[in-house]
Amino acid sequence: MIALGAVDFTVQFGINSILNITYGSLTTLAAYLGHFLVGAHLSIWLALAIGAVMVGLASMVFHRVLLAPLVRRGIRPFGLIVVTVACGIVLRYVIVAVVGPTAQSYGEQSGATLHILGMTFTVAQVVSIAITAVLMLSLHLLLTRTKLGRAMRATSANRTLAQSCGIATDRISDIAWLISGTLCGAAGVALAITVATFDFTLGSVFLIPMIAAAEPGGSGPALRRDAGRVGGGDQQPGGGRPLEPRVPGRDRLRDPDREVAGAPARALRGHLVVAAAAGMSPV
Amino acid sequence: MYLGTDLLAAWSLNLEFGVAGVANLAYIVVIAAGAYTYAVLTLGPSSGNGGFQQYILGFRLPFALTVIAAALVGAAVGALIRVSGLKRLRQDYQGMVMLVVSLMAATVVGADGGLFNGQAGLSLVSNPFSGSGSAGGDWTYVGVVALACVVGYLLLRRFTGGPMGRTLRAMRDDEHAAAAIGRSVVNLRLLAQAVGGAFGGVRGALLVGLIGGWSPSSWAYPETLALLTAIIVGGMGNNVGVSIGTFVVYLLLLQGVQFLPAIASHPGLTEAFGWMILGVTTVAFVWLRPQGVFPERRPRFGRPRADPAGGSGPGLSDSIRA
Repeated sequence: MIALGAVDFTVQFGINSILNITYGSLTTLAAYLGHFLVGAHLSIWLALAIGAVMVGLASMVFHRVLLAPLVRRGIRPFGLIVVTVACGIVLRYVIVAVVGPTAQSYGEQSGATLHILGMTFTVAQVVSIAITAVLMLSLHLLLTRTKLGRAMRATSANRTLAQSCGIATDRISDIAWLISGTLCGAAGVALAITVATFDFTLGSVFLIPMIAAAEPGGSGPALRRDAGRVGGGDQQPGGGRPLEPRVPGRDRLRDPDREVAGAPARALRGHLVVAAAAGMSPV
Repeated sequence: MYLGTDLLAAWSLNLEFGVAGVANLAYIVVIAAGAYTYAVLTLGPSSGNGGFQQYILGFRLPFALTVIAAALVGAAVGALIRVSGLKRLRQDYQGMVMLVVSLMAATVVGADGGLFNGQAGLSLVSNPFSGSGSAGGDWTYVGVVALACVVGYLLLRRFTGGPMGRTLRAMRDDEHAAAAIGRSVVNLRLLAQAVGGAFGGVRGALLVGLIGGWSPSSWAYPETLALLTAIIVGGMGNNVGVSIGTFVVYLLLLQGVQFLPAIASHPGLTEAFGWMILGVTTVAFVWLRPQGVFPERRPRFGRPRADPAGGSGPGLSDSIRA
């Protein structure tokens, strides 16, 4: 689940170069939405799917209505961080106002106990792992095998050049935020299923491991390059990479944009690094 | 008294963020460092006071000495936090690193019960002037906080108005230019955070003496956002504006919601409203008026004086040279 969260974090940053701290609160929102749907007698897995889609839509609207206009106004990167922190706090306390501060639980959703390769799992954990694996593989295939994925990688690499090539970068950004928000929602519900109880601090508790998993896994050349830059607001939206010389006759998008395309594998690697460092079981 | 301590914190964070451009989302950590320092230097041995609290040190030192110690610890912690971001990172990466440092610090302190009594925190920290009688002790503390505010304002004004302030603003506006004329950006940021941390430590010491206790729940990362909002609302780099912003945010917003009627079925609703309004205010000001209500006045430099010997007067680079 942490790896899934790290993937979404990386995708959002890779496409728009925005460090979205609201991410933690969106994870919490998904957990509560799933809890509400389970309380309405829906299946836990159907609640996960619906909760994920709802959070995905919320994430896309958040970017389109608030963040994208601020980026167009030329707000500095730290200003965007302040805005995302503020929005995360607003969302967090809206949850508190509606649901209250007391801890919630999905109840007995664990299912039977399974013994696999000498390790003990519950059915819910196995299904969560399977869902996570399927989603990450799907994202990887989307980014590397589809036209949409190529467009996303192009936008991540050089937004201006992608626009010049006729790619609707605004629409690509919306889709990226929809996809990453959906995965964020799935991670949130899966996290809430895994922990015994959760409250409005769920997102902030897991925000550090998600960011840490995104960092050791690496967000690719753009992140390492930007880490060496000094000052803010000096780069084009979308990260930006210097134009590479064109080879006539070769598809300039054939070489994968590693920072986005490789996100799932790097996130999983980062998750394992973080888990090992913390002495935790990777699952 | 609360407003006084809030002003101290806002001015010192304004030094770091508004003047020096340091994206410090971990500012609450230095305040906590000062508060814990004051508490463990005044509570006495941990075996006393009922023995239900476990903490390090456990001395019983005079008030002035503990406030000075809190300032020194705050400065050291501020510099230490800066070390974690010494690599010349983009500003938003700095912010993220600081945010993670803030979260990690709260987690570590809360988890270690022997350090500062874990999640339960420290309590029974007495008002150092309570021996003057209840009302007399309170008014004495008001006087001490007011004195600290006056001294702090004058010191910070002197610091930010002089050559060092110009150097910090130069670094904020263009790091490359400041580095090109020989300014060490890393050292300047360390200095800004150390000085800001010192004032933050004093604020923490005064606050815990007022409240009587301190726990990890008192220094969650949203507290730093409240200070940043006060700076953004009032005007970055401008202590007068920041003072106005602090009054608006802390008194009108965060304290004003306390006057809303409580709803028995929703405990904590008024506090939640306060934070929601704070977040909306932050976004509104970043969107509509990022320069704040009282923007920083751009410095004006007089015409270079003619050199009687016929040479040129001071150039533009002199204005950013310490």
